[in-house]
Amino acid sequence: MEAGAQASWIVPAAVFTPLLGGVVAGLSGAWPETRRRLVLAAASILTVVLAGSVLVRASSGATQSVRLVKMTPQVWIHLRVDRLGALYGMAAAVLWLLALVYSFGYMADEHRLGRYYAFFMLSLAWTVGVAYSGNLLTFLVFYELFSILTYPLVVHEQTPEALAAGTKYIVYILIGGSLVLLAIVYAYFLAGAQDIGSPLLDLGMGRGQLLVVFWCFIAGFGVKAALVPLHGWVPDAHPAAPAPFSAVLSGMMVATGSFGIMRVVYNVFGVGLVRELAVMKQVAALAAFTVVFAAVLAMHQDDIKRRLAYSTISQMGYVALGVALVDAQAATGAIVHVANHAFMKGALFFCAGLIIKRLGVRSVREMDGVAKRMPVTAAAFAATSLAMIGTPPLAGFVSKWYLGLGILDSGQVAYLGVLVGGALLAGVYLLPIVYRMYFNEPAPVVEGSPLAQAGAPEAPATMLAPLAAAVLLVVVLGLCTTPAWSPLQLAKAAAEGFFR
Amino acid sequence: METADVRVLLAPAISFACSGLVFLTGRSVFWRRFWSLGAAALKFVVVLSMLPAALTGKTFVWNLIEFTPGIGITFRADALGMFFALVSSALWLITTVYAIGYMEPEHAKVRFFGFFALCVSTTVGVAFAENLLTLFVFYETLTICTYPLVIHEETPEALRAGRKYLAYTLVGGACILLGSALTYQIAGTLTLSRPGVLPAAADPRSLAVLFVTLVAGFGVKAAVMPLHGWLPSAMVAPTPVSALLHAVAVVKVGAFGVLRVVYNVFGIELLKRLGYTVPLAYLAAFTIIAGSVAAMFQDNLKRRLAYSTVSQLSYIVLGAALLTPAAASAAVAHIANQAFAKITMFFAAGAIQRTTGKTQVHELGGVGHQMPWTMAAFTVASLSFVGVPLFAGFITKWYLSVGAFEAGMWWFALVMVASSLLNAAYWLPIVYLAFFKGPEGQEVQRREAKPVLLVPTIACAAWVVVLGTTSDVPGMPFALARAAVEFVFKM
Amino acid sequence: MWWQWPHWLPLVVLVPLGAGVVTPAISRKSTKAAWVWAATAVAATVGASLPLVIRVAQEGPFSYTFGGWTPPYGIEFRFDEVSAFAFVVAFLGALAIVFSLRYAPHALDEARIPYYYALLLLNLAGLIGFSVTGDMFNLYVFMEIISLSGYALVAISGERIAEMAAFKYLVLGAVSSLFVLFGIGMLYGVTGTLNIADATQRLSVVADTVPVAVAVGSIVLGFMVKAALFPLHVWLPDAHAIAPSPVSAVLSGLVVKVGLVGMLRLYQVVYASRAVDLVTLNRLLTWLGAASIVMGAFFAMFQDDIKMMLAYSTISNVGYIVMGFGLASRYALVGAAVHIFNHALIKSALFLSAGAIIYQTGYRRLSDLRGVGRGMPLTGAALAVGAVSIVGIPPTAGFLCKWYIALGAFEAKNAAFGFALVFGALFIFVYYIRMLNAFYFQEPVRAEVTHVGDPPLSMLVPMWVLAALCLAMGLAGKVPLTFIEPVVTRMLAPTGG
Repeated sequence: MEAGAQASWIVPAAVFTPLLGGVVAGLSGAWPETRRRLVLAAASILTVVLAGSVLVRASSGATQSVRLVKMTPQVWIHLRVDRLGALYGMAAAVLWLLALVYSFGYMADEHRLGRYYAFFMLSLAWTVGVAYSGNLLTFLVFYELFSILTYPLVVHEQTPEALAAGTKYIVYILIGGSLVLLAIVYAYFLAGAQDIGSPLLDLGMGRGQLLVVFWCFIAGFGVKAALVPLHGWVPDAHPAAPAPFSAVLSGMMVATGSFGIMRVVYNVFGVGLVRELAVMKQVAALAAFTVVFAAVLAMHQDDIKRRLAYSTISQMGYVALGVALVDAQAATGAIVHVANHAFMKGALFFCAGLIIKRLGVRSVREMDGVAKRMPVTAAAFAATSLAMIGTPPLAGFVSKWYLGLGILDSGQVAYLGVLVGGALLAGVYLLPIVYRMYFNEPAPVVEGSPLAQAGAPEAPATMLAPLAAAVLLVVVLGLCTTPAWSPLQLAKAAAEGFFR
Repeated sequence: METADVRVLLAPAISFACSGLVFLTGRSVFWRRFWSLGAAALKFVVVLSMLPAALTGKTFVWNLIEFTPGIGITFRADALGMFFALVSSALWLITTVYAIGYMEPEHAKVRFFGFFALCVSTTVGVAFAENLLTLFVFYETLTICTYPLVIHEETPEALRAGRKYLAYTLVGGACILLGSALTYQIAGTLTLSRPGVLPAAADPRSLAVLFVTLVAGFGVKAAVMPLHGWLPSAMVAPTPVSALLHAVAVVKVGAFGVLRVVYNVFGIELLKRLGYTVPLAYLAAFTIIAGSVAAMFQDNLKRRLAYSTVSQLSYIVLGAALLTPAAASAAVAHIANQAFAKITMFFAAGAIQRTTGKTQVHELGGVGHQMPWTMAAFTVASLSFVGVPLFAGFITKWYLSVGAFEAGMWWFALVMVASSLLNAAYWLPIVYLAFFKGPEGQEVQRREAKPVLLVPTIACAAWVVVLGTTSDVPGMPFALARAAVEFVFKM
Repeated sequence: MWWQWPHWLPLVVLVPLGAGVVTPAISRKSTKAAWVWAATAVAATVGASLPLVIRVAQEGPFSYTFGGWTPPYGIEFRFDEVSAFAFVVAFLGALAIVFSLRYAPHALDEARIPYYYALLLLNLAGLIGFSVTGDMFNLYVFMEIISLSGYALVAISGERIAEMAAFKYLVLGAVSSLFVLFGIGMLYGVTGTLNIADATQRLSVVADTVPVAVAVGSIVLGFMVKAALFPLHVWLPDAHAIAPSPVSAVLSGLVVKVGLVGMLRLYQVVYASRAVDLVTLNRLLTWLGAASIVMGAFFAMFQDDIKMMLAYSTISNVGYIVMGFGLASRYALVGAAVHIFNHALIKSALFLSAGAIIYQTGYRRLSDLRGVGRGMPLTGAALAVGAVSIVGIPPTAGFLCKWYIALGAFEAKNAAFGFALVFGALFIFVYYIRMLNAFYFQEPVRAEVTHVGDPPLSMLVPMWVLAALCLAMGLAGKVPLTFIEPVVTRMLAPTGG
């Protein structure tokens, strides 16, 4: 164990609480709905509290580390939290809590709720595990569990489209996971160690081998981070999954890939080695292409969830770009964008889910006049869209600002165009929806549609509350950037650590 | 550190005596069950009682009889043998419980349980064999004892499968016999207690012949392609037989033999110099891929399991052939990892067959809703084969991949990756069918398997997770695998 | 010590010989009396042979001379390790006679039964005499006693087919005896002595080796007919299959071995004297042995009669032994010699169980006997043990031979024959598996065979004693080896006899 790391029971507790919650949910098939909700909410809130306390500790610069179990001499589970991990874990815990509460309303009339909640909570456990993993293998363990055990959520509807999307999802994810495994094994072979901390690899290990490891990692994580051309599963999986899960899928799960890329660049290779290898130019180009390409595609999507999914691909391109610039400012932007994007995209998907559920429409063309029927939802959608575009003082602005600083800093000014272009394109694919919501007349109510049956179209408070919370967070994240525990400061500190 | 201890003899002797008692008193249901369960439990306890000492590095030996001058039937529980014995005796116990439930409606139960016990006796005999001749004695006996189990149904199909089984395995046995004789001729000893007995100065042509005969001989039971033909046909046997014999005893004996040949007959250094293992590694890699591809096209669940076994066994062979410590750890550990996962699947397949009568994959839609626990166990095993972390299969995958890099043959790591993807491609659809597809428009009745079938299934599945998470906790047998590897590599 | 009393050696031959001669006279009235007499006599023979075996194990080879006439002038009985075969003969003979208690009345006319026992005893006497004699002429004489009583035993049922078989056996047997006699005569001409030990010494100084070579060739040819080596086997299947089962056991287990024990004796002489170079002959024998293994198995595969199968199986096993002689390396000879003993046990077990099955069911064709394993569990099990053993599945008795001959093949730098032997053995398994499948795993054609029940104890006990020995002799492979290794060592010793 490295010097200065402190053992803390809170770290594993943050992983095991949702795990336990998931197991309980799995056994809760015959419980009354209220009891199940109480238990799940308690578990989720507890996770937030635990992750929060981990975050607070990490923000003071302490590294917390726990060795859980040694599976074999080469394979062991080791949790270790640095600033990056703490931030990521916290974001996940909060987003999951919001999505869980949202689910209570959204999923009320769905089938197989036991299974749904079980895997939902488990996926939180795996995500926190990924965030807190202390070596590459632990990372892989949680990463793979996360990938595979979310399959039941993707196909939850069990419609033919959902099943087809699920198949596509699992194929992509397994191939990506295999590449990651290969890379990890190779890295282990080269370095003989796998603890995340100071960089594992150095140039003495042979340039060719290092390049192989690097591209295996990037290709493997790139699948999950939806780097074009590895993004194929994203646009299918998002519309198929239930809305609360789409929110976390887009908000955190795709980001797991980006998180992995960060770990690779900062902890496995290290900034120095990456510069030495001169591989980041290609990654940056790829990321920039992803930003623009996905945004362009998003413009042409009619299904609102599909459009949001392409938006996610585009936004994750920003994160990858931030990493690829190899610059402290850009890195800060990338890290903080992971957290910001989680809530922005979460809020957007919450809105989309409400619209689909309450009005029965999912085509952008049918969004006319939604604001008249669902004023709160429409307002939330508008605010979050602005944040996504990068309007100050909302969350999206902060990350883009730092990305821009990083671009200037690193001297690759051309990417400034990508940054701005991406933001503009985001405006192009999001603002027309807002426009239609507010300025077009609603279509007449069709007999027999969900709207006609529901009476009052606005969603009940249980679903609006998490939405409101998410929007609030988007605002707060844009405004509160100075406290030591704020994402921006954490990201700054983390980036400084990596670039020291 | 060697100690004479009768327990090494006792372990095979208990099941041998048990089979005798079953034959004599087995017409009574009570006694049949009593002897089978009692002996299985006793044997497990005996083997387990050797574990603490074995973990501290003690080796138990027992000289039973001098078979021919200079070569005795001698038992020796070294780390590798202990590991294998532990796996097979533990699984015997579990499978006996399952078999009692499963075989209820079958005929000729005395014969079944009698030979069943004999098979386990010989398997442990193989595990504890001190020399190649002892090993061969039990190996060949196992072949014969399995035959009545394979053709238990007595249908023409079963008889055909039995003939095929015998034809393959006896030819393999013949090869081993020749190999043993040649070993004796070259080395003057047959002992398996050293890391390699063959003199480096021996004629390379003889060594080549020796390697081919021994590996081909054991390769038949280890179902290395193209010697695998018997295994899928042998699936006509009742499920507990398929489970124990085709997941554990028979096939693992072959794989175990390959390990013995590579580590104890030739030894790492000699083989590194000779380079014979390289083609073997390619053959194993081919088997891994081809077996998986073949499995994808099987609709009969048990046949799919069989081809998967073909593929999985070659992990062990590949691990042995790479000649590096990590790969060796993978090879040894996979003996247990594959056994528990595969037996879980067989149990699940048998439980489904007994409970719902379904044997084909395409019929399995919605089975997960009828039999959630059984299919949950099946899912765990599937994930283990795919190599998902925290399940046993991952340990193998990890070590084998590291071993491939260590050996400087990184492409075998790609083979591992390809294999896990293929495993996903033929296991996950079953899970998917079971849980996410259902008979349309009708309410699914929950019809879980009988407890006597269900409990062993879940126990094995749970153990797959234990092996995948805590296999290096003090007192767990992985230390044995490590000790075996350290011995072989003289670390 | 009691076992050092010198007269055990003549007794062991004279007791069965004398008892055999008088059997018909004693048992005019009742067949039971004939059995009691024969059983007593054979028990006495076993008793007399036991001290001999102990003595040879303790002291090494010893001799007995009749009337104080020392060799080379007198008649000498010489008991060396190979002669321990005499004990096996007595023991198997005893079991065959016990088995005959119920079998003989079933298979034969009552009037013939006393003659049956008489011939059996004479046959045994001949076999014992053959293995203990130290004199070439007596070797021939005992061989003729064996042959003649053998012909008569094959024909004893009096059926036409039995007579035919016996006639075939007689013709070939007589010719082969002539060859042996011719060879012995030539050896006598060259050396001027009939005593084996003496001849060995004189041969080592003989200058002209051509007549010796011819003599050796002639004797080997004669013995190989007796041993039914392919392609000289044509007489065997009919004779063995048609004889009453206890006789088949004796014929297959023991009488065939006359040729092989004779070979061993001859090789002892030739190797020790170095009179002729046997390389060419050995190569021929190795090839013929291999051919015999495969062809025996090949013919057996197409048989439906269980005793026919067993008879062809004998040809394969003789192939093993001859191949072992031919390879002529230390291990190969050990293997061959061991198999002479073990095959006797195994094949007797098989023939006795087959006999019991025929006795109980009345059927002898495999297609009729389906399911008999359920009807006669103990008999079927004994047969299964025998089958497993003869195929050479370790750790049964049959395995030793495979192991040693394979080792010997490598030792002789003739690995190919090791492969031939071991894979040839697999062919043998093919038809034994057919047999076991039919007995245990196939639907019965004749319903009654599934509930006939096991035979009486007088059959079960001999059969199971042998079956148990099949298992035990594998594990205790050291026991026969203690007798054989010194012989082989002496044979191959570089200094010569």
